[in-house]
Amino acid sequence: MLNFLLRRLIGLIPVLSIVLVIAFSLVRLIPGDPAVTLLGPGATSEQIAALRAQLHLDRPVFLQFTDYLVGLAHGDLGLSLKSGEPVLREILARLPATIELSVLAVLVAILVGIPLGVLSAVKANTLFDHTLRVVSLMGVSMPAFLLALVLQLIFATHLGWLPVSGRLDAYLTVEPITGFIILDSLIAGNPAAALSGLAHLVLPVTVLALFLAATLARFVRNTMLEVMGEDFIRTATAKGLHRHQVVLKHGLLNSLMPALTVIGLKFAEMLGGAILTETVFSWPGIGRYMFEAIKNRDYPVIQGTTLVFALLFVTTSIIVDLLYGVLDPRIRRRMD
Amino acid sequence: MTVWKQFATLGLMVPLLAGAIDAQAQDQSKTLVVAVPSDPVALEPGTNKAEPIGSEIILNVFDTLVAWTAPDFTKVEGRLADTWTVSADGKEFDFKLRPGVKFHDGTDFDAAAVKFSLERTKKSNSYVQATFGLISDIAVVSPTEVKISLAQPYPAFLSILAQPQAAIVSPAAVQKFGDSFAKNPVGTGPFVFKSAQADTNVILDANPSYFRGAPKLSRIVYRVIPDASTRRLELENGGVDVVQQQGQLSAIAAEDIASLKKNKDVQVLEASSQIIRQLEFNNSKKDGPFADVRVRKAIASAIDYDGLLAGVFGGTAERVYGPLTTNSWAFDPKVKELAPKYDPDLAKKLLQEAGVDPTSLSIKLYSFQGPLWGAVATFVQANLADIGINATIEQTEFPAYRTLQTAGQFDVALDGRQPWYNDPDAHITIGYLSSLANTAMTFRMPEDKDLDALILKAQQTADMETRKKLYFTVQEEIMKRVPGAYLFSPKLIVYARSNVKGLVINSAPPLNEYWSVSKG
Repeated sequence: MLNFLLRRLIGLIPVLSIVLVIAFSLVRLIPGDPAVTLLGPGATSEQIAALRAQLHLDRPVFLQFTDYLVGLAHGDLGLSLKSGEPVLREILARLPATIELSVLAVLVAILVGIPLGVLSAVKANTLFDHTLRVVSLMGVSMPAFLLALVLQLIFATHLGWLPVSGRLDAYLTVEPITGFIILDSLIAGNPAAALSGLAHLVLPVTVLALFLAATLARFVRNTMLEVMGEDFIRTATAKGLHRHQVVLKHGLLNSLMPALTVIGLKFAEMLGGAILTETVFSWPGIGRYMFEAIKNRDYPVIQGTTLVFALLFVTTSIIVDLLYGVLDPRIRRRMD
Repeated sequence: MTVWKQFATLGLMVPLLAGAIDAQAQDQSKTLVVAVPSDPVALEPGTNKAEPIGSEIILNVFDTLVAWTAPDFTKVEGRLADTWTVSADGKEFDFKLRPGVKFHDGTDFDAAAVKFSLERTKKSNSYVQATFGLISDIAVVSPTEVKISLAQPYPAFLSILAQPQAAIVSPAAVQKFGDSFAKNPVGTGPFVFKSAQADTNVILDANPSYFRGAPKLSRIVYRVIPDASTRRLELENGGVDVVQQQGQLSAIAAEDIASLKKNKDVQVLEASSQIIRQLEFNNSKKDGPFADVRVRKAIASAIDYDGLLAGVFGGTAERVYGPLTTNSWAFDPKVKELAPKYDPDLAKKLLQEAGVDPTSLSIKLYSFQGPLWGAVATFVQANLADIGINATIEQTEFPAYRTLQTAGQFDVALDGRQPWYNDPDAHITIGYLSSLANTAMTFRMPEDKDLDALILKAQQTADMETRKKLYFTVQEEIMKRVPGAYLFSPKLIVYARSNVKGLVINSAPPLNEYWSVSKG
């Protein structure tokens, strides 16, 4: 398995290099000059030229690229054109918020999606199954921003149960230590802040999780129905095993492999969805940071965040591959 | 069915959580939460480039020597300066400073700090190069007196000194923090900078020993909320106390304003601005139909100005007639008569005179993005269709739009100008001086020695009455050239919870001061 991991890690280098080249050239192809955008109204051509020189934007693109690569080799992602801060530091400051949101969303999606899929398969063609199928279809097709707005209107405006947006009540403050707000609140011994952090997580996690949960529920239902028709299930039932043992041990376990692929792939889509979710919920994560950077033509930030998203994506796919090995002894043997 | 039980438990827990949080929140009645769309860019005068959020925070953390007096902003009052005199030639400004004022770090404010701050901004802030570059000398006469000399007369200089870029910084703090002064700004203002968290908030605490008296609030939290509909929901829910429509490009639809006006928990504060929005021609272009003044006049006569205000804005914008807004001290009343009136027949006749067949004119009408600009563009498009001109709307993203404009790759565009200081110079010189044609935010005026000379004379004349008359002539000359059709001036709109009292909205630039604000 170690060998396999090593091979996959080496394989990362060409993938990330290609991503880098594409990101670097694409951002420079979108019309719009960062210096013009940064200086805003009333800037004279001299002011713009001076800023371009200061930001090294007047150098040939090829030289800009080699500068960037040299920096990258030293772990330096460059400086944000907008804030002048190191991009790496800015990304690291926002990474916990995105991880908190997406990891929780995946967990919630798994905990909700898989059981519902199993139930739906077991109760195939009953009212429960039909309802779930309609609801999950809505979950798959509803755009994140619309769902976010609907949930904000219901749970924040009308019921007043949950906050509209943000990570913490504006009247509370927590010193960032780890960047994970609930953890930081607990370290600081501030249970009110921890509760506020938790309440602020509910809506964005739900929005992000719903799409994945709905996809999973539909997928698990279909694979389960297929698996439950297989010969070995009939054998297991004939052996006199309990119904729940047949369903969970033989049926579910065999449906999990394809579900794992879906989770891996959809996780990446979810990160894309994080851009919208983070904006609507004023969540200070990387998705929103990237979105703002694109608006401002902040080249180093767009490159840096693209790289981080690519890294998250390939890491997920490696983890999924390794999990295949854990779940299926046949694959494990092939990996070795 | 355990899943349903879990859901039910969650449903019960949530209100309990919310209750627990309410019980723990402190000082709500003295904490003002202000929604802003993004992080401030440069929180100190030496690097601030008129970015609105940073500028507003600077005005609350620092003080300037002088400031415009609320509520009509036609007179300048002293802040850190007690009194001042201007020499007859308009080149020397002598300020007597307020004694006994201290910076937040405990050091004394004095004439040396004024010299240090203004010289520092002059050196480091390229944005104000053109205006601060006029300063030839700053002399410390005594600890409470400072004399600023200019290389040439520039009567708008007092206006410049009221800007955030001219705020006075603590020299000791600049020395202590060096390059990271913007992360630790220290001034004399009513609020002390406490902390800033990226994409989350900026927190300011009250300065109890502020020289004009301690502010009524104990804290201001600037919450970063990038999405306009989220800002609205937060305001309605009480999650924020103030939402400022950062004027420029993010105005919200008139329907939203109308529905917020009906909400008794929310007050909608409106003030006239000096912002001008117009349909402008690429005046540098020597060929093409718009090089003919009759065609430009035809387009300007085809637009139903009052219909636009009523139909698209529902009272949130005002009529603008020419290069200056009616609330400017230099506005020439004659411009109202000179301004083209809505007259489609005249428009058709003018096109005929110019020998232009309207159906042959297929124009691209460039515009900013967003529903409001979309509505304006659609309205203008319909007006042009009435006289037979076919226009296609190209709503373009801001950075791409600016590049297109500075490169002069357009014929007709919807655009706007927001003056960053309170003086006619901010609209006239930047907008119409032909040597600035290729920079952003100009009308791309063709070379015109007479007009240029007149603009510079008006800019530099020290006597205010003579200056006013010169600006009258400038406006009339510009109107003759029809560089665009002046469409509307959006009002400054600030939304606040109804318990917020005493807010001062500055008109140019549109920044709020919170010293006098309280929450009832």
